[in-house]
Amino acid sequence: MTKLVGGDGRHHIESRLMRESLQDRAVLRDTENERDLRFFPDVTLVSIGGQSIFDRGGAAILPLVEEIAQVKAKGHKIVIGVGGGTRVRHTMAIAMDFGLPTGGIAQLVGAMEELNAILLNALLAPYGSMPMQRDHFWDLPLYFHAGITPIAISVPPFHFWEPPPADGGAVPMHGSDFGLFQLAEVLGFKKAIYVKDEDGLYDKDPKKHADAKLIEKTTLAALLANMPEENILDEELYRTWADAKNLKRVQIVNGLKRGQLLRALDGEDVGTVITNEAVKRD
Amino acid sequence: MTERRTLDSALAHANLSSTSASSGVDYRPVAVMPDVRVVKIGGQSVLDRGRAALFPILDEVIEARKLGIQVVLLTGGGTRARHIYTIASELGMPTGVVATLGKYIPMQNARMVQMLLAKHGGLFILPDDFEKLPLYLQLGCIPVMSGMPPFGYWEKREGGSRIPPHRTDAGVFLSCEFLGARRAIYIKDEDGLYTNDPKKDKTATHIPRITAKELIERNLNDVVVERMVVEYLPRARWCKELQIVNGLRPGQVLAALKGEDVGSIISA
Repeated sequence: MTKLVGGDGRHHIESRLMRESLQDRAVLRDTENERDLRFFPDVTLVSIGGQSIFDRGGAAILPLVEEIAQVKAKGHKIVIGVGGGTRVRHTMAIAMDFGLPTGGIAQLVGAMEELNAILLNALLAPYGSMPMQRDHFWDLPLYFHAGITPIAISVPPFHFWEPPPADGGAVPMHGSDFGLFQLAEVLGFKKAIYVKDEDGLYDKDPKKHADAKLIEKTTLAALLANMPEENILDEELYRTWADAKNLKRVQIVNGLKRGQLLRALDGEDVGTVITNEAVKRD
Repeated sequence: MTERRTLDSALAHANLSSTSASSGVDYRPVAVMPDVRVVKIGGQSVLDRGRAALFPILDEVIEARKLGIQVVLLTGGGTRARHIYTIASELGMPTGVVATLGKYIPMQNARMVQMLLAKHGGLFILPDDFEKLPLYLQLGCIPVMSGMPPFGYWEKREGGSRIPPHRTDAGVFLSCEFLGARRAIYIKDEDGLYTNDPKKDKTATHIPRITAKELIERNLNDVVVERMVVEYLPRARWCKELQIVNGLRPGQVLAALKGEDVGSIISA
């Protein structure tokens, strides 16, 4: 029976957090346990790069669409997200020249990603795909049952409320790499695969350094301790992952090489495999 | 393989992942609406007390509005939020789900405040209505919205808790920072910041003014505003002060809206 409690001028509903300050450290700790619920443990997130894939046009996109069709035919359950690429950078450069606040920039950039999502939806339509509304996650079983691949919105809805960047700059910290990671994490997906135009994560940018070495396997802890200066994924993704409970595995594959995405979905260690050893589950 | 087709811009070849992302751009920020007062009405501290606490506060807000002060009200959650957080935590819901659940109660509260302020121009708005603020404020309205930032499922877990780290205090600060206003105002049921929760610790003493850095260094077990806000404050461009006032003391809200240094002030 729900109890209403008064006596201090406030009207409380009885609960463990009643009357408590949610800033109190002990109260906050008390809500913690080792695991989060996992809602969709057999689904994989596939993120397709903006600069790395879409900005290259048909030569890069069309073969990848064929490969996604094969992925679907094999019965892999995936949610796809896309990056925005060079138009996002152009938007940011102009907005920063105008002096727009970080929250204003964050409000603008999502539109550029959405253009790539429309292109991908159009190309995947014959195989069955649909845009997924912002957070209509509970529709996912319906999508999969119907053989439809959802294409998610990749930029997180921080918008005008984007926090001040940690580096003191104006570029929003929460981009599409983070947005898609968090989607996979909160829904308890099997893993996240980032499709880029390199074989994976290198110790330095392979486009600028001929002697850059591919990192085939690493752990999040090792990466955080020794972060490559130029990273193929947003740093915020790694910071968020350090506190996460669900996602154990992030993989980076080359979308310009046929078969890499399919092999990654089949469970092969192609590209770069990063694991978070602190996550206590398979 | 075809090359990337790149639009020429200052950031075209910058590595946005690195901390030096914006170094090549001459960034001179512009304040969007610097004169707006962004004000939070506490959930547990004010709204859950009912009419006795809220009505005198609204009277002062109406008075300020009549003086031409532009006010945007944001609401907290309170005991119903704590109730759903308790149950969701027991069920092991991820922080993003808890944050999504946490959107609903401040929104109820905003709707209640709107109904009470309707005859004085109270207007319920959603995050998507933010770009219409200039119109609403020029018409003399008092926009009311939920203080919860719209992160929802994208709210990250912070070490050691599944309670969302960005709640309605953060929403007020971040709204203030976007609008380019200098001070975020929080109406609570205490005179401001104390060395501990004054409701539980009678020896707690009042802190009228402190910097965010000093506050973090003091490492208090409990603080009156969300820790994320104190952490963000030093790197904010516009919102350099948090003012916490006691809505139960007549005149404090109006004084704060006029820009007076009442209550506690935490500065960048």
